[in-house]
Order: sequence, then structure tokens, then C-alpha cells
Amino acid sequence: MRRSLLVVVGSGGVGKTTLAAAIGLASARRGHDTLVMTFDPSLRLKDSLGVGDEARAQEVEVAAGTRGRLCASLLDARQTFDRLVQRYAPDPAARDRILANRFYDHLSGSLAGVLEYMAVERLFEVAREGRYDRVVLDTPPTRQALDFLEAPQRIVDFLDSGARRIALKPWFDEHGRLRGASRLGLIGRNIEAFLDRIVGLELLRDMAEFFQAFGPLYEGFRTRAAEVQSLLRAPGTGFILVAGPGEEHVPDTMFFARKLGEAGLRLGPVVVNRVHPKELGSVDGEDEAARLLRWLAERDRRGLAALRSLLAGRHRLVEVPLLPEEPADFASLGDLAGLLDVLLDGS
Amino acid sequence: MKAGRADGKPVGSLLEELGRRQLLVVTGKGGVGKSVVAATLGRLLAQRGRRVLLLEVDPRESLHQLLGVDPSGGEVVEAGGGLSLQNLPPRRVLDDVVREHLRLAPLVRRVLNSPVYHHFVDGAPGLKELAVLGHVQRLVQGWGGRRRGHTDLVVLDAPATGHSVSLLAAPRVTAGVIPHGPFGHMATELAELVADPVRCGVVAVTLAEEMPVQETLELLDLLRGRLSRDPQLVVVNGLYPRLAPRRQGASRRNGVELAVRRRRVNDAELARLREHWRGPLAELPMLPLDRGRELVSALAPLLEEALADRVEGRP
Ligand SMILES: Nc1ncnc2c1ncn2[C@@H]1O[C@H](COP(=O)(O)OP(=O)(O)OP(=O)(O)O)[C@@H](O)[C@H]1O
Ligand SMILES: [Mg+2]
Repeated sequence: MRRSLLVVVGSGGVGKTTLAAAIGLASARRGHDTLVMTFDPSLRLKDSLGVGDEARAQEVEVAAGTRGRLCASLLDARQTFDRLVQRYAPDPAARDRILANRFYDHLSGSLAGVLEYMAVERLFEVAREGRYDRVVLDTPPTRQALDFLEAPQRIVDFLDSGARRIALKPWFDEHGRLRGASRLGLIGRNIEAFLDRIVGLELLRDMAEFFQAFGPLYEGFRTRAAEVQSLLRAPGTGFILVAGPGEEHVPDTMFFARKLGEAGLRLGPVVVNRVHPKELGSVDGEDEAARLLRWLAERDRRGLAALRSLLAGRHRLVEVPLLPEEPADFASLGDLAGLLDVLLDGS
Repeated sequence: MKAGRADGKPVGSLLEELGRRQLLVVTGKGGVGKSVVAATLGRLLAQRGRRVLLLEVDPRESLHQLLGVDPSGGEVVEAGGGLSLQNLPPRRVLDDVVREHLRLAPLVRRVLNSPVYHHFVDGAPGLKELAVLGHVQRLVQGWGGRRRGHTDLVVLDAPATGHSVSLLAAPRVTAGVIPHGPFGHMATELAELVADPVRCGVVAVTLAEEMPVQETLELLDLLRGRLSRDPQLVVVNGLYPRLAPRRQGASRRNGVELAVRRRRVNDAELARLREHWRGPLAELPMLPLDRGRELVSALAPLLEEALADRVEGRP
């Protein structure tokens, strides 16, 4: 069965973005209209795909000369957030109040998970429009394996939490002064005392304003978060796990694989990237350089072997060699696409 | 930068100069070798008589492996030779602030158990980063040391979440959002600490590859733009070896050709970095050693040599 959504996951710095681009290219070569959604590609990769900052606002077509169309977009949390607010705010005044709120300013830039959440939001928009046969989603560099998948739920929890309820309380009277009384009972009073003493009133005021302005958008957020969760578990969705070479990356990789399984997400192939080729193992010479090259080749063999035995045939293992240069032009992306084409054969 | 001066300013090696600070923040993209460099710097400075605490902020502890000691589990662990290690859960620091300010045990319990507090701590911008820096400040001012001795210098292995400048910019951001109250005051003080090159040093670690160098150049810009400061040192780690010139007529095997070309990428990226960064730069080779004590022991003399240049001290 053809996958309509491929999500490329793995820890930071293993080459997810490059591989996502190459998988997109392979898909377009097969004649499928494909969109690659990426985070933070390198300058050279952007250049060679002909993708500039305009791709933050909309999808850009890549002149790849493939049978299917290849498009790319860059994910940008702040911009997606702004767009959502613009689209769903009930009136221009409410929109302006949110966009100008200091708390929003910081929230959209640094609330844990916002970037991830926005990725999923954008993905959802694209999926609904249905203009592509296949979407390849790169994921942001996160530490905690599946942050970005859990982000929608976290945000809903945050909005659901007492933080919102408390912030929505009429804290301030019409003169902008704090109201004394609280109707939240003992716990509420303690929290108030805490917030008041620790963070001061200004933050409270900003938060209250923010949540009040944000109120009308809230139901929409909630519904979409649930829909996105089911999109990620739909039969047409598959996950590709990218791993670093070498034994030390194995625990990380297995951690990811386990987490995906626990979350009910479908893990397909595991790609081990930047593997030092076997030939290095037979470099002669006793100088330092020769010893290092042999060691690197051995280290990466050990890593592959360990991973192979742990995965025990449950997932296809695809090995991508370290290339002489970072693949950033069509020729070298094309070579990679050739290696990765197997990922598109159902799973 | 080189050579001593006779105008009365203290003169020492770059390493000694780094060691005069209260805090060294070791920062860089994920996986470039921050922890290895932090551990190596910590060792070297401890050898020079400074009492150094290596502070790790990562729920998945790993720094202890590089020192050959047990995981810290939040406590300070002695690693010998004047060096100690602590893995710091930022939440714990924030919880301590709550304890200090609310005092009454039942009140404290209620706040700490409340979901509102959890979401606040997770959601408020920069608060966790602030907690980490606040802890550092207490350590170097000697408040945090109930059972432990005084710490001269904290080497902070900065977490690789988000952009590496976010930790350093956090106090400013927080001071902007929370202008008053204890967190607000703490933020303001810490913003001063972080901006002060006499007390706080920044060490940027990178690989000589496109993406890490790109991020390092962005870091340099952000440091200048947001904090009006430069790092004290850029460490370029994991360099491929320069291969001995080919003997006449001998042909190279495939694999060797790969290494030659990777080194060429390294050299090109080093050149690009040097174009934008004229300050101190240390190069470290990739070594055939697994992550562990031996790697740190092998890198230590190399880093020491790279930092042996004499520099003019700060007044
Ligand atoms: N000079 C070196 N020679 C050989 N291996 C090295 C060198 N420096 C780092 N490494 C290896 O590279 C890997 C990453 O190093 P390290 O854990 O220090 O990176 P980090 O920047 O702290 O990563 P993270 O962002 O995950 O915390 C480790 O396996 C380490 O052993
Ligand atoms: Mg580390």
C-alpha cells in the first residue's frame, strides 16, 4: 500500500532533513506529487532546492525535473501561529489584542512544544487540502524522542489546565487593580498567593489578557489536536527512524523505536546514516590517520550489528554511507534518493 | 593577542585566563562534543588548582561516563583532583524557590502538587534556564554548598535544546516578562552575570561541517546582538586527520579518498569560520576512542596545548 504520509524521526544531528529531501525526490521520481516539509535545512540545501524564505509562507515548487511534482515548505512556528490567530480570531480587534500581547510574544517563541505543535498543525492543513500524493515530514531536533507528537496534547492540557481558568478569572477590576476575593477555594488561593508573590502582577495581567483574547480559538485547537492524533495513526501514515552510526547511538535508536510502538505509531524502516564504509577497515599503515580510519569503520560495523540483532528482523535496516561531502546538490541528493527508494515500497 | 605586555595587566595562558571566571558556559549544536569539551576543560582547570564543578542539565545523564564516576542523580559527585559533577534537574531549583518563599509546609505541598504550578513552570518562558543559572550563581557565591566545599568555577554543559543562545538570553527574556517579584529580581541579576565577560565565559563548540559552523556563526551574531558580547573561545572538534602525502605511483584506496575529502570539507569550513571569527580558536582531532575517561585524558593535553598562547588578562 502506498503511504500518503511519511514522518522522518530521529535525534538531532543525524541527518533527518537531508534524508527527508532525498526521500521526497525519490517519491517525485516515481511520479507521485510530493511535498517535503522541513525544519532548518542548511543554506546549501535550500539553495540547491531553490527554496528561500518565501517557503515559510507557502509551498514552493522545486525544479527537480521529476515525473511527479516536488514541492517544499519550511516550517516556522511563529508564522504558523500568527496565521492561525489571523484565521480564527473572531474579529480584527481580538486578533490585534492577541498579536500585541507580550505573553503571546514569548509564548509563541518559547513555550515548550509550540514549534512541534505548529508542525503538526501545518501538516493537518496540508493533509486536508489533499493536493499531494505523498507528504514527507521532517521533524525538529528534539531531545525527548517524541516531543513533537505529544505536543498537541500538551498544549491542550495547558489550555485545559487551571492556568487558563485562573488566568480567565476577573483578576482586575475596571480600574486595573487586583481584586481581593477569590472563588477558587483553598488551593486556588494558595496558587494566587504564590503567583502574586513570586511572579508579580504584571505577568498575571498579561496572561489574563492573553487567555481572554485566546478564548474563542480554544475549541478549534482542541478539535484539531484530536484530529491530528488520528491522522498520525491512520493506515496511510508511516514512520521512518533515522539513526546515527556507531554503537553509542544504538540505545537512542532503540528508545525511539520503543516509544513509537508505545504510542501506537507505525514504525517502518530504520535508516542508519553516515556509516563509514567497510573498505576503511583495510587501510594499511600504522600512522594515526590509518588507525583512526580503521577504528571508525569498525565502530560503525559494531553499531550496525548491534542494531540488527536488537531489531531482530522486525524493521528493515537501510544503510546510508558517509558521503565525501554533505549532499546538497541535485546530483548527490539523487544518489541518496536511489539508496532510499526502497523506503517507498509499502511496508 | 599573542605575547605578554609590560603595561601591568596580568598575562597568562588562555587556559588560565578562562579559569579566572566564575562560570564557563560550554555551548553548541547537539552531538558536536560539548560534553567531551566541558569535561576536558574541567579536568584541565582543576589540575591548575581551581575547584571546578561540572554541571550537566540533561535528564539523560551521561557526563559521568566521561569522568568515570557514578551518575549524579541530582547530587554532587566527587570526581577527584578538585573536580566534581552534578546533574541538575531544573525543576528542583524552582521548587526550592517556592519552598523558600512560602515556607509553610502544607502550603508548599499544595503549590508543588498543583497542575497549575506544573503548567506554569513548563510554560513560562525561560524559567527553567533561569533556574539553572540561578543555581550556578548560588554555587559560586557559596550559598548552595550545605555539605560541599566552596566552588571556584562552574563549567556548564549547556543543554542542546532549541538554539544554543536561548540559555544565555533567558534571563533577559524573563526579566522582560516578569519584571517584579523574586523571579524578576533573580532574572535581572542573572542577565548582568551572563553579559559580564569578566565573570562569565562562553565556549562555543562546533564541528568543521556546514550546519554546525552555520549555527556557530549565528551564535556569534546573537551573542553580539542580544548580549553585546563575544565568546572567549571557539573549539572546533572532531577534525579528520590530514593524511600523509601519497608516495609516487602509489594509488589510494576508496576509503582513504573519502577521508581526504572529509578533511577538505573540514578545512573549507574552518576557513569560513575564521573569516568571521578572529578570536581564540582551538582545534581538536577526532580520536579513535569510545566515549569515556580515556577520550578525555587523550584530549586534555591537546586542548592544553591549543590554549597555551599567552593572552592579555582582563583588568
Ligand atoms: N575529539 C573526539 N574524538 C572522538 N570522538 C569524539 C570527540 N569528541 C566527541 N566525540 C564523540 O562524539 C560523541 C558526541 O560527543 P558529546 O556527547 O560530547 O556531544 P554533545 O555535544 O555533548 O552531545 P549532546 O548534544 O547530545 O549533549 C560522543 O560519542 C563522543 O565520544
Ligand atoms: Mg552532552
